Amino acid sequence: MNAKAFKALIAMAFAISATVVPISQSFAAGESLGKSCPTEGVMTGTKTTSLICVKGSNGKQTWQRVKLSAGGGRPVASLTPPKGEIEFWHYRPEVLDQKALVEIIANFEARYPGTKIKQVVKDTTTFNATARVQILNNPKAALFATSRGFVFDTFAKSDMMVDLSSQRYVKQNAIAKAMFAGVYEGKQLGVPYQYLFNNPIVNTDLWAKEKWTTPKNLTGWVAWCKDAKAKGYIPFAWPGATLGQAAQISNSALMNSASSYAELEKNLLDLNSGKTDLTTSWFKGVASIYVKLRDAGCFPENPTGVTQNAAYTMFATEKSPLLPIGTFAMGDIVALNKKLDGKMQLMSMILTDGPVVAEGIMNNTYILSVNKNSSSRDQKIANAFISYLMTGPVGQIYANTSLQHVNVLDVEYTNVNLLTTSSFQAKNTMLAPRFLLVNGSVSDLTQQALIAIVGGKSPDDVLPDFSKQIKQKLAA
Amino acid sequence: MTQTSAPTIATRNIGAASRKKKRDAAIYYLMGLPAALLFSIFYFVPFIANLRYSLTRWDRITDPEFVGMKNFVNLLTNDDLFFKVLGNNLRFTFLVVLFQTVFSLFFAILLVRNTKFNILLRTLYFFPTILSSVSVGMIWLYIYDPNYGALNLFFNRVGLEAFALNWLGSETSALYAIAFTQVWFHTGQMIVIYIAGLQQIPQELYEAAEMDGATRWQQFKNVTWPMSIPTTVVVMAYTTIQSFRAFDLIFSMTQGGPNNASSIFAVMIYQTVFNELRIGYAAAQSIFFVLVLVLITLLQRKVLGSGKER
Repeated sequence: MNAKAFKALIAMAFAISATVVPISQSFAAGESLGKSCPTEGVMTGTKTTSLICVKGSNGKQTWQRVKLSAGGGRPVASLTPPKGEIEFWHYRPEVLDQKALVEIIANFEARYPGTKIKQVVKDTTTFNATARVQILNNPKAALFATSRGFVFDTFAKSDMMVDLSSQRYVKQNAIAKAMFAGVYEGKQLGVPYQYLFNNPIVNTDLWAKEKWTTPKNLTGWVAWCKDAKAKGYIPFAWPGATLGQAAQISNSALMNSASSYAELEKNLLDLNSGKTDLTTSWFKGVASIYVKLRDAGCFPENPTGVTQNAAYTMFATEKSPLLPIGTFAMGDIVALNKKLDGKMQLMSMILTDGPVVAEGIMNNTYILSVNKNSSSRDQKIANAFISYLMTGPVGQIYANTSLQHVNVLDVEYTNVNLLTTSSFQAKNTMLAPRFLLVNGSVSDLTQQALIAIVGGKSPDDVLPDFSKQIKQKLAA
Repeated sequence: MTQTSAPTIATRNIGAASRKKKRDAAIYYLMGLPAALLFSIFYFVPFIANLRYSLTRWDRITDPEFVGMKNFVNLLTNDDLFFKVLGNNLRFTFLVVLFQTVFSLFFAILLVRNTKFNILLRTLYFFPTILSSVSVGMIWLYIYDPNYGALNLFFNRVGLEAFALNWLGSETSALYAIAFTQVWFHTGQMIVIYIAGLQQIPQELYEAAEMDGATRWQQFKNVTWPMSIPTTVVVMAYTTIQSFRAFDLIFSMTQGGPNNASSIFAVMIYQTVFNELRIGYAAAQSIFFVLVLVLITLLQRKVLGSGKER
């Protein structure tokens, strides 16, 4: 064996051991592939290949392997930044997010003396309305985060994001399928950091107490709503007065409204461009789901006046067993009622009696990007900080402190609420379809039409009216 | 020896006076210059820019495209929302101006005397004014909550369930509920302006009216009201402008919903700019916004001005 072949053999052996060792280290005592496990969703982490406790088709819960990476090799270490200071613009002023980011930035600055990251944090509404223009005129804002949909789309169209396609941390440190949300015209213009599950979360104690099982289809949900209402509950703690959160349930209604994701995507893109409107038979079908749920008493009294805070209160005070909002609400719910810590679980909301395309909704958002207009040095700092965030230990701090799942590999979730909801990573989930409506007017008016239907109006009146409004917006 | 004739001296004096006048005029212009500069930079230049943008289609991403009067034509011929919002704005302004003026005048008459108790009450009534609009919006959001709010709990408790409405969630009541909040928010401020105006009315007029045997109502009708018209003009003009600018209150309470039932010009323009990225169209909307505001203010001045002359 010559020296070249010997080196190749050593390298291969190292690669194999490096891939296998971390996986085997991630198994806790008693957990092994195929063996039965006690609680669905408990997992050993999001390693490149992870074990998750999942209920199989035979109904038995076993440890199953879930492949999460793109197979681009082991996660890489973070990049070393040059000295200097940059601004990090984003939209997460929430207490838990801030606690996480302050700790992470302090660690980063301590590790790289002379490098500083200054947060510029705005609430979502302000950020979405003003940040793009401010960042365009501010080269110091070398790093920023956008949300998936309209906001990411307008930032991307403004040609202000550096292409990160060639970065190794994108290929090797991230859950591969999650990176799609940061792609624009074939380029990786952002790295989606959060891995959210949108809808719905349930109070497991109440479901166990009432001996409810997950409804399998729309008929099942209608029956469940009637039963829950008869027992004195508000079936869905739905905030009709807060458009963004009221819209979360539309993901579930849209999810199985077409025969495939491709068809659904086409329907939504046609609606977005004005090629079709809300009076198509497909959208009438979506509206009819809302009518059935409304008539079954699923929504609260005076649904269009219920704010997000009121809906959270309904769920946290156990007046409602289901919150049709995502995992990102769990931190707020626990703050309202500590008793619910670890007592929340995600649920499949299949709102069709026909074929099932997907079982649940997820979203990859908080998309981190590097400002194209910043100096080369500042871009390097921003890129290095993203690479730092994309390492397992740092992702773990962010996830367990902010109570958000992340798209980073080698993260061990220690928070009970994150652990119990992790099983959804193994399910057949769909990337939240409502964000395919990237035109702000079309998206808002579509949701307002659905809210009006829940409020008691007939789709026959609502759909033509809102279609006309959409048409006028697009014409202008 | 030359002798200076009287006309020459007069001419010199006139010349000196004219030079002084010119110098003074220059100083006066110079003193006004900083304000004129600030006005030009922050009002006049943006106004001209707005006019220019109103003739374009622009999304703040690509370059503006000149479209002539298309935005204005579209606003007037193919935009139901524009007319809905115009109607909302007029109703909102009418209600707020009417009730805020009536309430503030009524309370100002009651509190015009400078007793300790009155001063305490004035402070209490003024208190909402020092809060931020968003705080006021949040407070009333809780009060109006249809299921947990204090207002509906009260109505249900006293057996008036029919009055327990979906205040902000219904298209029929949302605008009125916000108008009430706006009146509550700013009446205290107007009370102070009215009190300052009422305290300027000479006491002798009331003494003379009393001597003539005038009742309280006659005193109000013939003394207080005519003498407080200048203050009323200020209060109404200010309230009108304030109600057109109630953006933050509406945005924090309903964001203009449901189905734009509580949207006013300011909210619509904000959404056109920031949600829809249609800068040119928003510029055209804002020109109508200013025109309507100017028209209403002129109308008020005319009505109250002619009333004063009578």
